[in-house]
Amino acid sequence: MALSFLDRERSVAHEGYSRWLVPPAALAIHLSIGQVYAFSVFKNPLQALTAADGSHWDLKSLGYIFSIAIAVLGLSAAIFGAWLEKVGPRRAMFYAAICFAAGFYIAAIGADTHQIALIYLGYGVVGGVGLGLGYISPVSTLIKWFPDRPGLATGLAIMGFGGGALIGSPLANQLMAHFKAAGKPAIPSTFLVMGTLYFIFMMFGVFTIRVPRDGWKPEGWSGTNKVSALISTHSVAVGQAWRTPQFALLWIILFCNVTAGIGILEQASPMIQDLFKGSVGKDAAVGFVGLLSIFNMAGRFFWASVSDKLGRKTTYFTFFTLGAVLFFVLPLSRADHLNSVPLFVSIAVLVISMYGGGFATIPAYLKDLFGGYNVSAIHGRLLTAWSTAGIVGPLIVNGILDHYVANHMSKQDAYPLILHIMSGLLVVGFVANLLVRPVDAKHWMKDQTLAPVGGGH
Amino acid sequence: MANETVHAKSSPLLIGAAWLLVILPAAWGLNYTVRNALKIFTAGNTAAAAPK
Repeated sequence: MALSFLDRERSVAHEGYSRWLVPPAALAIHLSIGQVYAFSVFKNPLQALTAADGSHWDLKSLGYIFSIAIAVLGLSAAIFGAWLEKVGPRRAMFYAAICFAAGFYIAAIGADTHQIALIYLGYGVVGGVGLGLGYISPVSTLIKWFPDRPGLATGLAIMGFGGGALIGSPLANQLMAHFKAAGKPAIPSTFLVMGTLYFIFMMFGVFTIRVPRDGWKPEGWSGTNKVSALISTHSVAVGQAWRTPQFALLWIILFCNVTAGIGILEQASPMIQDLFKGSVGKDAAVGFVGLLSIFNMAGRFFWASVSDKLGRKTTYFTFFTLGAVLFFVLPLSRADHLNSVPLFVSIAVLVISMYGGGFATIPAYLKDLFGGYNVSAIHGRLLTAWSTAGIVGPLIVNGILDHYVANHMSKQDAYPLILHIMSGLLVVGFVANLLVRPVDAKHWMKDQTLAPVGGGH
Repeated sequence: MANETVHAKSSPLLIGAAWLLVILPAAWGLNYTVRNALKIFTAGNTAAAAPK
């Protein structure tokens, strides 16, 4: 078979292979697919495109592109998680690269021929499958390479997803400006170039990723990280894991954390301009969005690494207590109260760092509870919480804002209500986290005690 | 394992190059974003100085 180099057996690391080559491979994938967070840079240019009949796309239709991509991310992660465990990370990353690049190419045709359905199909559905496969494929491999520091390892990779926008946004802007100046169709050309560049970058990840040999463990590591009673010494198969109360509780935890974060991210630019009318303009709002991206990225690494020391439950306890308080007091910083932009920005970036931290810490939480055997597949199913939050979060935010505008009330007054609802959601997450207990022994796999690493082969 | 082949340890240069490959584009994007983000603090000063 021409593609046999993608087989799991061909990607087993030789003796002496450094585990520090694995995070760059994972980062190449996550920095690429994290471009989805920067999709909004295409919104205005896409809206400016004119069809043959002179019509334009409205913002609502364009907003569906991102929503479809995120929904398909969660669904494909849930559907393909078990397959990924079987075929290994290299093959999954290869198909992720093909889907992600193909999504750009199909969307380029859609932009060129002014057919939004093709952009939905390309960037949303095909690209979304690439997002889902790419998101989960390096996670369990990293956990197997870093059993001594699983939080740090998954934090590194998932930090890349948060950081993808930092590359994707300026890259898209500069490519569009270049093609516009050259008199070429800016968006289709940019999509084609980005699809190709990301494919090449992701191939670096495909060829660098390795799975550890059976029985491998880091030098000097005893084989246990006992900092919490929640850490299981046994594995639970995916088919059993998702029926446990622990899975439901973690689903609620992720859902609440993501929905609350989206409450800020979804409206970051208009929110700061509305709350500080006259003192924060468009340019400064763009800067605010950039700051949020940086802290979203940094929080993924910082909090996930800290969770190796604190334990996952304590880390989420911090997110949900501190987060609920910060969301509640955030509206007090606005222009007609304390009138402090620095205070508003400081609270918002801290809250967003915990939003990112929530994403990055969840794989290690799953590994603690369910063992490493099926962690990718279980993680994939858990990501449906993200898809749901991606729909519910904007629905809450936009629904309240629309209600205020329709009733001729000030939009500025809608934000405290939105932020207080998000604070309430974090309290729900707090309760769910509090209820997490070790998985009952009846769910453990009967014939397998967790090997230090490589147990999922 | 029936086939015992002796493999060299991964070269530190190779590890460094792999990290550079992902750090460089990320640093480029970070630099671009930080320069834009600084504008918010200019706005903050303006807001603090603005009469209520």
